[in-house]
Amino acid sequence: MATETPPRASGTPPRAYPIGTHPSDDDPNVLLVDDYEFYEPIPPYPPRTEREAEFYTLADGEMFLNLGPQHPSTHGVLRVVVKLDGERVVDIDPVLGYLHRGVEKLVENADYHQTISQVDPLEYISSLFCEWAPVTAYEKLLDVEVPRRAEYIRVLSGELNRIASHSLFLGWFALDLGGLTPILWSFIERDEIVEMLAALTGQRMLFNYFRIGGVNGDLNHDFMSRLGDWMSRAALQIESGIGLLNENEIFVRRASGLGIVDSEMAMRLCMTGANLRATGVPFDVRRAHPYSIYPELEFDIPTRTEGDSLARYLLRMEEIKQSLRIIDQCLDRMPDGPIMAKLPRLIRPRPGRAWSAVEGPRGLYGAYAISDGSDQPFRLKIHDPSFIHLQAVGALMPGNLLADTMAIMASLDPVMGGVDK
Amino acid sequence: MTAINRTWDQLTVPGKALAIVIPLLAVLTLGLVLTIVLFGQQILDILIFNLPIVRFVFAVTILMLLFVPIAFLIIYMEMKIIALMNLRIGPDRVGPWGTLLSTVHGLKVLMKEDFTPTRADAVVFTWAPVVVFSTAVLSALVLPFAPGLIGQDFNIGLLYFFAIGGMTVVGLLMGGWSSFNKYSLLGGLRAAAQIISYEIPLTLSVVGLVILAGTMSLNSIVEQQGISGWATDWYAVRQPLGFLIFAIAATAEANRTPFDLTEADSEIVAGFATEYSGMRFGFFFFAEYINVFIISAITVVLFLGGWNAPFPVPHIEWMVNPGELGIGLLLLVMLAPVIGTLLLAAPVYLFRSQTRWWVALIIGFVLFNVVVGGLLSLWAYINFDWVAGLFWFVGKTFTLVFVFVWMRGTLPRVRIDQLMGFAWKWLLPASLLNLFVTAAAVLVIDAMKRGGS
Repeated sequence: MATETPPRASGTPPRAYPIGTHPSDDDPNVLLVDDYEFYEPIPPYPPRTEREAEFYTLADGEMFLNLGPQHPSTHGVLRVVVKLDGERVVDIDPVLGYLHRGVEKLVENADYHQTISQVDPLEYISSLFCEWAPVTAYEKLLDVEVPRRAEYIRVLSGELNRIASHSLFLGWFALDLGGLTPILWSFIERDEIVEMLAALTGQRMLFNYFRIGGVNGDLNHDFMSRLGDWMSRAALQIESGIGLLNENEIFVRRASGLGIVDSEMAMRLCMTGANLRATGVPFDVRRAHPYSIYPELEFDIPTRTEGDSLARYLLRMEEIKQSLRIIDQCLDRMPDGPIMAKLPRLIRPRPGRAWSAVEGPRGLYGAYAISDGSDQPFRLKIHDPSFIHLQAVGALMPGNLLADTMAIMASLDPVMGGVDK
Repeated sequence: MTAINRTWDQLTVPGKALAIVIPLLAVLTLGLVLTIVLFGQQILDILIFNLPIVRFVFAVTILMLLFVPIAFLIIYMEMKIIALMNLRIGPDRVGPWGTLLSTVHGLKVLMKEDFTPTRADAVVFTWAPVVVFSTAVLSALVLPFAPGLIGQDFNIGLLYFFAIGGMTVVGLLMGGWSSFNKYSLLGGLRAAAQIISYEIPLTLSVVGLVILAGTMSLNSIVEQQGISGWATDWYAVRQPLGFLIFAIAATAEANRTPFDLTEADSEIVAGFATEYSGMRFGFFFFAEYINVFIISAITVVLFLGGWNAPFPVPHIEWMVNPGELGIGLLLLVMLAPVIGTLLLAAPVYLFRSQTRWWVALIIGFVLFNVVVGGLLSLWAYINFDWVAGLFWFVGKTFTLVFVFVWMRGTLPRVRIDQLMGFAWKWLLPASLLNLFVTAAAVLVIDAMKRGGS
């Protein structure tokens, strides 16, 4: 019925169904109060592709449900048109772009230093990693050696940010499964870490801390005292938060066997990070393509083989413990020295291209920078793991119940800022 | 006329309101008094002749009035307890410790726009909250709160309770269907599926109890649980499996976590209540919390002894007849408050040097009131059965309400297929097993008794 929508006439507002043409108009069981149009998630234009035509045609007993962009559990402003058969999801059509800022274009018109603050809000949960990838790409273009103290500070603050992101994931995942308490327990960790990073960087959320050739500010007393205070009880506190869920029968029953990704499918979808490692592939950029000071540090790459939502959740909790190990080592070995390389104020890298990737809490976070010799990047391509992982939703959701689609999406942990860029 | 007009114009808005209301009240009062004087006997005769109807109307009115503060209390409990479990502070702005917040919520809901969406079935949409609320109130009619405090003592009280309680689903389905919203529709259908499925184990789990009790009157069931005075008489002890099944199924009936799929906010926004606003939403909200109270109350009545104390309370004869005191009564009323206040204020004044005398007097007066209130309650508890019964009944019921709130703070939500599978694959066979074991045991014991005698 949807394929018969009339083409959009120029000058008139689009209507899904012109007055008097809706299928329910002749239905005596539907009470028509007046003939205002109402919202159907069907686009107001004729289908542009075969896939669109197929999706927007309803079979018997199916209906569309418009999830988002203002739905309580779409993790930002994602809109998913879900084709439902009862409670079971038949097919989905994600509609992206509600958070599109045009970052890659903004970056082309900004100074190299200014680009750092432009890429910051991409993944607002873990913005240090958004800075890290472009900054290292620029450093490769410039052939600049970053001081060791700066590298240590980068790793230290990055791992803190990773813990903050993962603990927030714990809360959101539980909330999407209906648990009210874990979100507020996990916000304690996040809040303490964010406060401590605010003492270091001056911002709670969009840190704008990394600089080309180093970091913005040295470790200060406020940060160190907060960090020491937190580290003394971090392991215990995180353990108590995880304990709320790990032994909960309802939670385990719902999360296990849900949204299973095998390693082949994960590789085909280009998944990285915890979502890939949960399928048994021990790929971690920190070990696979070592950068910064990670080769000197001791930590494990936890993997799991189940590939379901529970495995992804447990893996992230395991990574928190590894991050605590890394922070301990960083504090132990923190060298003295400068925190910035000697660089001119105005940067003009030689013409060329550079790719760099870092391991963010969501996976491989990459930046591909092209320089044309001017003081602005010619192009900066940002590879965002959230976008890659959101693609898996299309393969995982159909066949599941409506309630599970939320859990699957939460377990993949996408951030819409990074998806829409 | 101009003088009246001028006077009228000089009045403020409250003044005008009073100028209208006071004469109106005076006329009405006069009319009422005249009616009573002239036709008092006839009216009384009619009322006495129709005593069951009068009793019914009176009970429903009292219950409806009573349920507003009960719902407020439970809403406040839920906000505060879940806040403490979430390591939050919770409501703390309106009233002492935020206790008036739910009242303010109620007023806010009254003032909001009462919105009907386009293409909604307006009639059904309007009546759905009424159905949900009135079924909640009506099903409370057979609850025995205390000895003698019962709306209507049916001999089929239990059947009536389940029949009326099951009608809630009609209201939820009406709201979900008529809203013209797919989330509402999903919520309404989930409610229908869930409540109808859980109705079966809920009802079957108490059949064993009915076999043991031999009656369906809730009043008699409670009386049977208080024969020896100990908690071992309660049906929770004699029917543990039935109690367990009933508790689980009752949680699902009240749409509470972990079975709150009908209003799962992370899945279907607010379920059947998505399109509701204003007082219509308020009725749904009230009904939900009243249902929590009623479900707790029926669990207490059926399995936890109702108004009976868990242990025999020693009976003390402590009836003061005021008439015997004579002039002593006058002295008591005049002197006791003064002396008590002074006595209780003295230590505060003497041992805390910063306290001023009038502050100490206020503290003493408040303490005296507390002491007298406590003594009066004790006196009432000892002398009146219904006060003692109400004490235990309300205490047990609110303990169960706390358990409901606790579960909401702790547990995630189950999935719809897990929910239905649990009802049909586990609860239903378990309740049938409970029924057969109970029936067989009753038969065997009867036969043994007959054989023995």
